[in-house]
Amino acid sequence: MISFKHIKKAFGPKPVLDDVSFDVKRGEVFFIIGASGVGKSVLIKHLIGLLRPDGGEIWLDGEEISRKDELGMMPVRKKCAMVFQHSTLFDSMTCAENVALPLRKHRGMKTRDALIEAKNRLEVVHMQDFADRFPSELGDGMRKRVAIARALTLDPTYVLFDEPTTSLDPVSARRVDKLIRELSDKLGVTSIVVSHDLASIFSIADRIVMLYRGKVKLMGTPEEFKAVDDPIVQQFIHGRAQGPIE
Amino acid sequence: MTAAPSPSRFATLAEGVGTSVFGIAETVGGMGLLLGRILARLFPPRLDYPELRRNLYKMSVKSVPIVIITALFTGAIMVIQAAPIVKRLGAEGLVGWAAGFGTLREIAPLLTALMISGRVGANNTAELGTMVVTEQIDALRALAIDPIAFLILPRFIGITVTLFMMTLYADALALLGAAYSSKALIGVEPTAFLHGLTGGLLGFADVANGLVKSVVFGLVIALASCHFGLTTTGGAPGVGKSVNATVVASAAGIFVLDYFVSFLLG
Repeated sequence: MISFKHIKKAFGPKPVLDDVSFDVKRGEVFFIIGASGVGKSVLIKHLIGLLRPDGGEIWLDGEEISRKDELGMMPVRKKCAMVFQHSTLFDSMTCAENVALPLRKHRGMKTRDALIEAKNRLEVVHMQDFADRFPSELGDGMRKRVAIARALTLDPTYVLFDEPTTSLDPVSARRVDKLIRELSDKLGVTSIVVSHDLASIFSIADRIVMLYRGKVKLMGTPEEFKAVDDPIVQQFIHGRAQGPIE
Repeated sequence: MTAAPSPSRFATLAEGVGTSVFGIAETVGGMGLLLGRILARLFPPRLDYPELRRNLYKMSVKSVPIVIITALFTGAIMVIQAAPIVKRLGAEGLVGWAAGFGTLREIAPLLTALMISGRVGANNTAELGTMVVTEQIDALRALAIDPIAFLILPRFIGITVTLFMMTLYADALALLGAAYSSKALIGVEPTAFLHGLTGGLLGFADVANGLVKSVVFGLVIALASCHFGLTTTGGAPGVGKSVNATVVASAAGIFVLDYFVSFLLG
Protein backbone atom coordinates (compact mmCIF):
# COMPACT_ATOMS: atom_id res chain seq x y z
CA MET A 1 0.00 0.00 0.00
CA ILE A 2 1.09 3.57 -0.68
CA SER A 3 0.33 6.40 1.74
CA PHE A 4 0.98 10.08 1.10
CA LYS A 5 0.82 11.87 4.47
CA HIS A 6 0.64 15.68 4.68
CA ILE A 7 2.91 16.20 1.65
CA LYS A 8 4.12 19.75 1.11
CA LYS A 9 6.19 20.97 -1.82
CA ALA A 10 7.05 24.43 -3.08
CA PHE A 11 9.21 25.63 -5.96
CA GLY A 12 10.66 28.95 -4.79
CA PRO A 13 7.93 31.02 -3.19
CA LYS A 14 5.17 29.14 -5.02
CA PRO A 15 3.57 26.29 -3.03
CA VAL A 16 2.47 23.45 -5.31
CA LEU A 17 1.39 20.76 -2.85
CA ASP A 18 -0.05 21.85 0.47
CA ASP A 19 -0.84 19.10 2.99
CA VAL A 20 -1.82 16.38 0.51
CA SER A 21 -2.80 13.05 2.11
CA PHE A 22 -4.35 9.88 0.63
CA ASP A 23 -3.80 6.12 0.39
CA VAL A 24 -3.57 3.85 -2.65
CA LYS A 25 -4.57 0.22 -2.10
CA ARG A 26 -2.85 -2.82 -3.58
CA GLY A 27 -4.06 -3.84 -7.03
CA GLU A 28 -6.27 -0.85 -7.77
CA VAL A 29 -6.20 1.54 -10.70
CA PHE A 30 -5.98 4.90 -8.99
CA PHE A 31 -6.31 8.15 -10.93
CA ILE A 32 -4.92 11.54 -9.90
CA ILE A 33 -6.78 14.31 -11.70
CA GLY A 34 -6.81 18.08 -11.61
CA ALA A 35 -6.13 21.13 -13.74
CA SER A 36 -2.76 21.62 -15.44
CA GLY A 37 -0.04 22.81 -13.07
CA VAL A 38 -1.82 21.60 -9.94
CA GLY A 39 1.07 19.28 -9.02
CA LYS A 40 -0.10 15.83 -10.16
CA SER A 41 3.15 14.87 -11.88
CA VAL A 42 5.14 16.50 -9.09
CA LEU A 43 3.32 14.29 -6.58
CA ILE A 44 4.07 10.96 -8.29
CA LYS A 45 7.71 11.93 -8.84
CA HIS A 46 8.01 12.07 -5.04
CA LEU A 47 7.14 8.39 -4.82
CA ILE A 48 10.31 7.30 -6.64
CA GLY A 49 12.56 10.00 -5.20
CA LEU A 50 12.92 12.14 -8.34
CA LEU A 51 11.69 14.97 -6.10
CA ARG A 52 11.84 15.29 -2.30
CA PRO A 53 8.95 16.69 -0.25
CA ASP A 54 9.48 19.81 1.84
CA GLY A 55 7.26 18.24 4.49
CA GLY A 56 5.22 15.12 5.14
CA GLU A 57 5.86 11.41 4.71
CA ILE A 58 5.47 8.79 2.00
CA TRP A 59 4.94 5.19 3.10
CA LEU A 60 5.38 2.25 0.73
CA ASP A 61 4.47 -1.22 1.99
CA GLY A 62 5.00 -0.19 5.61
CA GLU A 63 8.26 1.69 5.04
CA GLU A 64 8.80 5.45 5.14
CA ILE A 65 10.71 6.29 1.91
CA SER A 66 10.75 10.07 1.59
CA ARG A 67 13.99 10.47 3.57
CA LYS A 68 15.95 7.82 1.66
CA ASP A 69 19.02 8.91 -0.30
CA GLU A 70 19.63 8.11 -3.99
CA LEU A 71 21.14 4.70 -3.21
CA GLY A 72 18.35 3.86 -0.76
CA MET A 73 15.73 4.65 -3.43
CA MET A 74 17.06 2.00 -5.83
CA PRO A 75 14.98 -0.90 -4.37
CA VAL A 76 11.93 1.39 -4.32
CA ARG A 77 12.43 2.20 -8.02
CA LYS A 78 12.64 -1.49 -8.91
CA LYS A 79 9.30 -1.98 -7.16
CA CYS A 80 7.67 1.19 -8.61
CA ALA A 81 8.13 1.69 -12.34
CA MET A 82 7.25 4.95 -14.05
CA VAL A 83 6.04 5.74 -17.57
CA PHE A 84 6.81 9.39 -18.25
CA GLN A 85 4.53 11.75 -20.13
CA HIS A 86 6.92 12.07 -23.09
CA SER A 87 7.98 8.41 -23.05
CA THR A 88 11.67 9.36 -22.42
CA LEU A 89 13.11 6.47 -24.42
CA PHE A 90 16.87 6.67 -24.82
CA ASP A 91 17.48 8.19 -28.26
CA SER A 92 20.81 6.45 -28.82
CA MET A 93 19.32 2.97 -28.37
CA THR A 94 16.89 0.93 -30.46
CA CYS A 95 13.52 0.00 -28.97
CA ALA A 96 14.81 -3.47 -28.09
CA GLU A 97 17.94 -2.02 -26.46
CA ASN A 98 15.74 0.36 -24.43
CA VAL A 99 13.69 -2.54 -23.09
CA ALA A 100 16.78 -4.74 -22.63
CA LEU A 101 18.60 -2.16 -20.51
CA PRO A 102 16.88 -2.87 -17.15
CA LEU A 103 17.26 -6.60 -17.81
CA ARG A 104 21.01 -6.20 -18.39
CA LYS A 105 21.50 -3.97 -15.37
CA HIS A 106 19.26 -5.67 -12.81
CA ARG A 107 18.73 -9.25 -13.94
CA GLY A 108 22.38 -9.73 -14.88
CA MET A 109 21.41 -10.93 -18.36
CA LYS A 110 23.95 -10.95 -21.19
CA THR A 111 23.22 -8.43 -23.95
CA ARG A 112 22.12 -11.10 -26.45
CA ASP A 113 19.75 -12.80 -23.96
CA ALA A 114 18.39 -9.46 -22.79
CA LEU A 115 17.61 -8.47 -26.40
CA ILE A 116 15.73 -11.74 -27.00
CA GLU A 117 13.71 -11.20 -23.81
CA ALA A 118 13.15 -7.54 -24.78
CA LYS A 119 11.62 -8.62 -28.10
CA ASN A 120 9.24 -10.92 -26.20
CA ARG A 121 8.28 -7.98 -23.98
CA LEU A 122 7.69 -5.80 -27.03
CA GLU A 123 5.32 -8.41 -28.38
CA VAL A 124 3.03 -7.82 -25.38
CA VAL A 125 2.55 -4.20 -26.53
CA HIS A 126 2.43 -5.21 -30.23
CA MET A 127 5.74 -3.50 -31.02
CA GLN A 128 7.85 -6.55 -31.95
CA ASP A 129 8.10 -5.44 -35.59
CA PHE A 130 9.74 -2.20 -34.51
CA ALA A 131 12.33 -3.70 -32.15
CA ASP A 132 15.31 -2.56 -34.21
CA ARG A 133 14.01 0.94 -34.88
CA PHE A 134 15.24 4.01 -33.02
CA PRO A 135 12.70 6.06 -31.01
CA SER A 136 13.08 9.03 -33.38
CA GLU A 137 11.66 6.83 -36.17
CA LEU A 138 8.40 6.16 -34.28
CA GLY A 139 5.22 8.09 -33.61
CA ASP A 140 4.08 9.19 -30.13
CA GLY A 141 1.76 6.25 -29.58
CA MET A 142 4.40 3.71 -30.57
CA ARG A 143 6.99 5.33 -28.33
CA LYS A 144 4.51 5.26 -25.45
CA ARG A 145 3.95 1.53 -25.92
CA VAL A 146 7.69 0.84 -25.92
CA ALA A 147 8.03 2.97 -22.77
CA ILE A 148 5.32 0.87 -21.11
CA ALA A 149 7.13 -2.34 -22.14
CA ARG A 150 10.36 -0.95 -20.68
CA ALA A 151 8.67 0.03 -17.41
CA LEU A 152 7.23 -3.48 -17.04
CA THR A 153 10.48 -5.39 -17.64
CA LEU A 154 11.29 -5.72 -13.95
CA ASP A 155 7.75 -6.94 -13.14
CA PRO A 156 7.03 -4.02 -10.78
CA THR A 157 4.38 -4.12 -8.07
CA TYR A 158 3.41 -0.50 -8.76
CA VAL A 159 3.39 1.42 -12.04
CA LEU A 160 3.10 5.19 -12.21
CA PHE A 161 1.69 6.51 -15.47
CA ASP A 162 2.12 10.23 -16.18
CA GLU A 163 -0.56 11.18 -18.71
CA PRO A 164 -0.31 7.88 -20.62
CA THR A 165 -2.94 8.74 -23.24
CA THR A 166 -1.97 12.36 -23.92
CA SER A 167 -1.12 12.92 -27.61
CA LEU A 168 -2.45 9.49 -28.59
CA ASP A 169 -5.23 8.89 -31.10
CA PRO A 170 -8.47 7.57 -29.53
CA VAL A 171 -7.85 3.97 -30.60
CA SER A 172 -4.28 3.91 -29.21
CA ALA A 173 -5.52 5.64 -26.04
CA ARG A 174 -8.17 2.99 -25.40
CA ARG A 175 -5.56 0.26 -26.03
CA VAL A 176 -3.36 1.80 -23.35
CA ASP A 177 -6.39 1.96 -21.01
CA LYS A 178 -7.05 -1.72 -21.65
CA LEU A 179 -3.43 -2.57 -20.91
CA ILE A 180 -3.51 -0.66 -17.60
CA ARG A 181 -6.75 -2.39 -16.57
CA GLU A 182 -5.34 -5.82 -17.50
CA LEU A 183 -2.19 -5.20 -15.48
CA SER A 184 -4.40 -4.76 -12.45
CA ASP A 185 -6.90 -7.54 -13.15
CA LYS A 186 -4.50 -10.24 -14.35
CA LEU A 187 -1.21 -9.47 -12.61
CA GLY A 188 -2.38 -7.54 -9.54
CA VAL A 189 -0.25 -4.53 -10.46
CA THR A 190 -1.22 -1.28 -8.74
CA SER A 191 -1.41 1.59 -11.22
CA ILE A 192 -1.33 5.27 -10.29
CA VAL A 193 -2.39 7.25 -13.33
CA VAL A 194 -2.07 11.00 -13.75
CA SER A 195 -4.54 11.98 -16.43
CA HIS A 196 -6.88 14.56 -17.90
CA ASP A 197 -8.48 12.01 -20.19
CA LEU A 198 -12.11 11.78 -19.04
CA ALA A 199 -12.76 8.69 -21.18
CA SER A 200 -9.89 6.87 -19.43
CA ILE A 201 -10.87 8.10 -15.99
CA PHE A 202 -14.46 6.89 -16.18
CA SER A 203 -13.71 3.62 -17.97
CA ILE A 204 -10.89 2.06 -15.94
CA ALA A 205 -10.48 3.92 -12.62
CA ASP A 206 -11.24 2.12 -9.36
CA ARG A 207 -10.78 5.31 -7.37
CA ILE A 208 -9.94 8.92 -8.15
CA VAL A 209 -8.38 11.79 -6.22
CA MET A 210 -8.81 15.34 -7.45
CA LEU A 211 -6.21 17.98 -6.57
CA TYR A 212 -7.18 21.63 -6.52
CA ARG A 213 -5.01 24.54 -5.40
CA GLY A 214 -2.44 22.14 -3.94
CA LYS A 215 -4.94 20.25 -1.77
CA VAL A 216 -7.13 17.18 -2.09
CA LYS A 217 -10.51 18.39 -3.32
CA LEU A 218 -12.25 15.02 -3.45
CA MET A 219 -11.41 11.33 -3.32
CA GLY A 220 -13.77 8.53 -4.29
CA THR A 221 -15.03 6.16 -6.94
CA PRO A 222 -16.04 7.35 -10.43
CA GLU A 223 -19.70 7.02 -9.36
CA GLU A 224 -19.10 9.24 -6.32
CA PHE A 225 -17.44 11.83 -8.54
CA LYS A 226 -20.41 11.85 -10.88
CA ALA A 227 -22.84 12.14 -7.99
CA VAL A 228 -21.13 14.82 -5.91
CA ASP A 229 -22.71 18.26 -5.89
CA ASP A 230 -19.56 20.38 -6.13
CA PRO A 231 -19.28 22.99 -8.91
CA ILE A 232 -15.48 22.63 -9.18
CA VAL A 233 -15.61 18.83 -9.51
CA GLN A 234 -18.55 18.99 -11.90
CA GLN A 235 -16.87 21.60 -14.09
CA PHE A 236 -13.73 19.47 -14.32
CA ILE A 237 -15.35 16.10 -15.01
CA HIS A 238 -17.64 17.58 -17.63
CA GLY A 239 -14.84 19.63 -19.19
CA ARG A 240 -16.79 22.89 -19.12
CA ALA A 241 -14.99 26.12 -20.04
CA GLN A 242 -17.18 28.22 -17.75
CA GLY A 243 -17.15 27.72 -13.99
CA PRO A 244 -15.30 28.34 -10.74
CA ILE A 245 -11.96 26.72 -11.81
CA GLU A 246 -9.44 29.46 -12.48
CA MET B 1 8.50 61.40 -3.19
CA THR B 2 12.16 61.01 -4.16
CA ALA B 3 13.42 58.54 -6.74
CA ALA B 4 15.66 55.72 -5.52
CA PRO B 5 19.32 56.58 -6.11
CA SER B 6 20.80 54.81 -9.13
CA PRO B 7 23.70 52.51 -8.28
CA SER B 8 27.11 54.01 -8.89
CA ARG B 9 29.36 52.69 -11.66
CA PHE B 10 31.61 51.21 -8.99
CA ALA B 11 28.71 49.32 -7.40
CA THR B 12 27.63 47.99 -10.80
CA LEU B 13 31.20 46.94 -11.61
CA ALA B 14 31.63 45.31 -8.18
CA GLU B 15 28.35 43.44 -8.62
CA GLY B 16 29.43 42.21 -12.06
CA VAL B 17 32.82 41.05 -10.79
CA GLY B 18 31.23 39.39 -7.76
CA THR B 19 28.69 37.56 -9.91
CA SER B 20 31.45 36.33 -12.24
CA VAL B 21 33.62 35.16 -9.34
CA PHE B 22 30.70 33.29 -7.75
CA GLY B 23 29.83 31.80 -11.15
CA ILE B 24 33.38 30.51 -11.67
CA ALA B 25 33.50 29.19 -8.09
CA GLU B 26 30.18 27.40 -8.63
CA THR B 27 31.43 25.81 -11.87
CA VAL B 28 34.77 24.72 -10.39
CA GLY B 29 33.01 23.40 -7.27
CA GLY B 30 30.44 21.56 -9.40
CA MET B 31 33.21 19.96 -11.45
CA GLY B 32 35.04 18.96 -8.26
CA LEU B 33 31.90 17.30 -6.90
CA LEU B 34 31.31 15.52 -10.19
CA LEU B 35 34.92 14.28 -10.21
CA GLY B 36 34.42 12.92 -6.69
CA ARG B 37 31.24 11.11 -7.74
CA ILE B 38 33.01 9.66 -10.80
CA LEU B 39 35.99 8.47 -8.74
CA ALA B 40 33.62 6.87 -6.21
CA ARG B 41 32.25 4.71 -9.07
CA LEU B 42 35.76 3.58 -10.04
CA PHE B 43 36.51 1.80 -6.75
CA PRO B 44 35.25 -0.86 -7.28
CA PRO B 45 34.58 -0.19 -10.98
CA ARG B 46 30.89 0.04 -11.81
CA LEU B 47 31.31 0.44 -15.53
CA ASP B 48 28.88 -0.42 -18.31
CA TYR B 49 31.19 -2.02 -20.91
CA PRO B 50 28.79 -1.88 -23.90
CA GLU B 51 28.33 1.84 -23.21
CA LEU B 52 32.13 2.30 -22.93
CA ARG B 53 32.64 0.48 -26.27
CA ARG B 54 29.97 2.62 -27.94
CA ASN B 55 31.55 5.83 -26.64
CA LEU B 56 35.09 4.80 -27.55
CA TYR B 57 33.98 4.05 -31.12
CA LYS B 58 32.06 7.30 -31.41
CA MET B 59 34.76 9.43 -29.81
CA SER B 60 37.99 7.79 -30.99
CA VAL B 61 37.40 5.98 -34.28
CA LYS B 62 35.20 8.71 -35.68
CA SER B 63 37.81 11.35 -34.77
CA VAL B 64 40.61 9.73 -36.80
CA PRO B 65 39.96 11.54 -40.12
CA ILE B 66 39.99 15.01 -38.56
CA VAL B 67 43.13 14.18 -36.55
CA ILE B 68 44.89 12.92 -39.71
CA ILE B 69 44.19 16.15 -41.56
CA THR B 70 45.09 18.40 -38.60
CA ALA B 71 48.29 16.54 -37.74
CA LEU B 72 49.67 16.23 -41.30
CA PHE B 73 49.19 19.93 -41.96
CA THR B 74 50.49 20.93 -38.53
CA GLY B 75 53.78 19.13 -39.20
CA ALA B 76 54.00 20.77 -42.61
CA ILE B 77 53.32 24.23 -41.11
CA MET B 78 56.12 23.73 -38.57
CA VAL B 79 58.54 23.18 -41.47
CA ILE B 80 57.19 26.13 -43.47
CA GLN B 81 57.88 28.40 -40.49
CA ALA B 82 61.35 26.95 -39.90
CA ALA B 83 62.41 26.65 -43.55
CA PRO B 84 63.75 30.23 -44.21
CA ILE B 85 66.01 30.33 -41.16
CA VAL B 86 67.16 26.72 -41.61
CA LYS B 87 68.16 27.47 -45.19
CA ARG B 88 69.87 30.74 -44.26
CA LEU B 89 71.95 29.05 -41.54
CA GLY B 90 72.51 25.86 -43.53
CA ALA B 91 71.17 23.84 -40.59
CA GLU B 92 69.14 21.36 -42.64
CA GLY B 93 70.32 18.52 -40.35
CA LEU B 94 68.50 20.10 -37.42
CA VAL B 95 65.08 20.44 -39.08
CA GLY B 96 63.99 17.04 -37.75
CA TRP B 97 64.86 18.05 -34.22
CA ALA B 98 63.25 21.49 -34.55
CA ALA B 99 59.97 20.13 -35.91
CA GLY B 100 59.93 17.20 -33.49
CA PHE B 101 60.66 19.25 -30.38
CA GLY B 102 57.78 21.66 -30.86
CA THR B 103 55.38 19.06 -32.20
CA LEU B 104 55.84 16.35 -29.59
CA ARG B 105 55.96 18.62 -26.53
CA GLU B 106 53.40 21.25 -27.43
CA ILE B 107 51.71 21.53 -30.80
CA ALA B 108 50.38 17.98 -31.25
CA PRO B 109 48.79 17.62 -27.78
CA LEU B 110 47.46 21.19 -27.80
CA LEU B 111 45.88 21.17 -31.26
CA THR B 112 44.54 17.64 -30.82
CA ALA B 113 42.93 18.71 -27.53
CA LEU B 114 41.31 21.72 -29.19
CA MET B 115 40.01 19.55 -32.05
CA ILE B 116 38.67 16.88 -29.68
CA SER B 117 37.13 19.56 -27.46
CA GLY B 118 35.22 20.94 -30.45
CA ARG B 119 34.19 17.57 -31.88
CA VAL B 120 33.78 15.26 -28.89
CA GLY B 121 33.37 17.59 -25.89
CA ALA B 122 30.70 19.75 -27.52
CA ASN B 123 28.87 16.68 -28.79
CA ASN B 124 29.01 15.08 -25.34
CA THR B 125 27.51 18.17 -23.70
CA ALA B 126 24.78 18.44 -26.34
CA GLU B 127 23.83 14.79 -25.89
CA LEU B 128 23.80 14.92 -22.08
CA GLY B 129 22.02 18.29 -22.05
CA THR B 130 19.32 16.97 -24.36
CA MET B 131 18.93 13.91 -22.13
CA VAL B 132 18.48 16.20 -19.12
CA VAL B 133 15.87 18.48 -20.68
CA THR B 134 13.92 15.55 -22.15
CA GLU B 135 13.91 13.76 -18.75
CA GLN B 136 15.97 10.82 -20.05
CA ILE B 137 18.31 11.14 -17.06
CA ASP B 138 15.27 11.01 -14.73
CA ALA B 139 14.07 7.97 -16.69
CA LEU B 140 17.41 6.25 -15.99
CA ARG B 141 17.03 7.03 -12.28
CA ALA B 142 13.45 5.76 -12.39
CA LEU B 143 14.80 2.47 -13.78
CA ALA B 144 17.10 2.27 -10.72
CA ILE B 145 20.15 2.86 -12.94
CA ASP B 146 22.83 5.21 -11.62
CA PRO B 147 23.37 7.88 -14.34
CA ILE B 148 26.93 8.58 -13.17
CA ALA B 149 28.01 4.94 -13.44
CA PHE B 150 26.04 4.22 -16.61
CA LEU B 151 26.41 7.45 -18.60
CA ILE B 152 29.16 9.63 -17.19
CA LEU B 153 31.91 7.18 -16.27
CA PRO B 154 32.13 5.63 -19.79
CA ARG B 155 32.20 9.11 -21.33
CA PHE B 156 34.84 10.31 -18.87
CA ILE B 157 37.09 7.33 -19.64
CA GLY B 158 36.23 7.52 -23.34
CA ILE B 159 37.28 11.17 -23.74
CA THR B 160 40.51 10.73 -21.74
CA VAL B 161 41.53 7.59 -23.66
CA THR B 162 40.54 9.24 -26.96
CA LEU B 163 42.78 12.23 -26.34
CA PHE B 164 45.75 10.04 -25.36
CA MET B 165 45.34 7.82 -28.44
CA MET B 166 44.72 10.70 -30.82
CA THR B 167 47.79 12.55 -29.52
CA LEU B 168 49.89 9.45 -30.24
CA TYR B 169 48.52 9.37 -33.81
CA ALA B 170 48.96 13.11 -34.14
CA ASP B 171 52.62 12.89 -33.04
CA ALA B 172 53.40 10.30 -35.70
CA LEU B 173 51.37 11.94 -38.45
CA ALA B 174 52.67 15.45 -37.77
CA LEU B 175 56.24 14.19 -38.01
CA LEU B 176 55.35 12.41 -41.26
CA GLY B 177 53.89 15.64 -42.62
CA ALA B 178 56.95 17.55 -41.48
CA ALA B 179 59.36 15.02 -43.07
CA TYR B 180 57.72 15.17 -46.49
CA SER B 181 57.26 18.94 -46.48
CA SER B 182 60.98 19.25 -45.56
CA LYS B 183 61.77 17.26 -48.67
CA ALA B 184 59.45 19.40 -50.79
CA LEU B 185 60.41 22.81 -49.40
CA ILE B 186 64.11 22.66 -48.49
CA GLY B 187 65.23 19.39 -50.05
CA VAL B 188 65.92 17.56 -46.79
CA GLU B 189 65.65 13.83 -47.39
CA PRO B 190 63.28 11.94 -45.03
CA THR B 191 66.27 9.86 -43.80
CA ALA B 192 68.10 13.06 -42.82
CA PHE B 193 64.94 14.32 -41.15
CA LEU B 194 64.71 11.04 -39.22
CA HIS B 195 68.35 11.34 -38.21
CA GLY B 196 67.61 14.81 -36.81
CA LEU B 197 64.78 13.31 -34.80
CA THR B 198 66.68 10.33 -33.44
CA GLY B 199 70.18 11.82 -33.28
CA GLY B 200 70.13 12.23 -29.51
CA LEU B 201 68.67 15.71 -29.11
CA LEU B 202 65.16 14.30 -28.62
CA GLY B 203 64.27 11.52 -26.24
CA PHE B 204 61.39 9.60 -24.72
CA ALA B 205 60.91 12.41 -22.20
CA ASP B 206 59.80 14.72 -25.03
CA VAL B 207 57.16 12.24 -26.17
CA ALA B 208 56.08 11.54 -22.58
CA ASN B 209 55.80 15.28 -21.88
CA GLY B 210 53.20 15.65 -24.62
CA LEU B 211 51.36 12.49 -23.63
CA VAL B 212 51.07 13.58 -19.99
CA LYS B 213 49.58 16.83 -21.26
CA SER B 214 47.12 14.89 -23.43
CA VAL B 215 45.81 13.01 -20.38
CA VAL B 216 45.43 16.26 -18.40
CA PHE B 217 43.63 17.93 -21.33
CA GLY B 218 41.41 14.87 -21.69
CA LEU B 219 40.39 15.08 -18.04
CA VAL B 220 39.56 18.78 -18.44
CA ILE B 221 37.41 18.23 -21.54
CA ALA B 222 35.66 15.20 -20.01
CA LEU B 223 34.89 16.98 -16.76
CA ALA B 224 33.75 20.24 -18.39
CA SER B 225 31.58 18.55 -21.02
CA CYS B 226 29.89 16.22 -18.51
CA HIS B 227 29.38 18.98 -15.93
CA PHE B 228 27.81 21.46 -18.33
CA GLY B 229 25.72 18.72 -19.92
CA LEU B 230 24.31 17.54 -16.60
CA THR B 231 23.57 21.06 -15.37
CA THR B 232 21.63 22.08 -18.49
CA THR B 233 18.35 23.88 -17.88
CA GLY B 234 15.93 25.72 -20.13
CA GLY B 235 15.22 23.48 -23.13
CA ALA B 236 16.94 23.85 -26.51
CA PRO B 237 18.44 27.33 -25.78
CA GLY B 238 19.85 25.85 -22.55
CA VAL B 239 21.56 23.07 -24.51
CA GLY B 240 23.13 25.68 -26.79
CA LYS B 241 24.41 27.66 -23.80
CA SER B 242 25.86 24.53 -22.21
CA VAL B 243 27.70 23.57 -25.40
CA ASN B 244 29.10 27.10 -25.62
CA ALA B 245 30.20 26.97 -21.97
CA THR B 246 31.92 23.62 -22.55
CA VAL B 247 33.93 24.87 -25.52
CA VAL B 248 35.00 28.05 -23.69
CA ALA B 249 35.80 26.32 -20.37
CA SER B 250 37.67 23.47 -22.07
CA ALA B 251 39.80 25.82 -24.17
CA ALA B 252 40.57 28.04 -21.17
CA GLY B 253 41.32 25.02 -18.98
CA ILE B 254 43.60 23.52 -21.65
CA PHE B 255 45.71 26.67 -21.96
CA VAL B 256 45.93 27.32 -18.21
CA LEU B 257 46.86 23.72 -17.42
CA ASP B 258 49.27 23.61 -20.36
CA TYR B 259 51.19 26.42 -18.68
CA PHE B 260 51.34 24.63 -15.31
CA VAL B 261 52.14 21.19 -16.72
CA SER B 262 54.88 22.68 -18.95
CA PHE B 263 56.27 24.50 -15.92
CA LEU B 264 56.21 21.38 -13.73
CA LEU B 265 57.59 18.94 -16.30
CA GLY B 266 60.17 21.39 -17.61
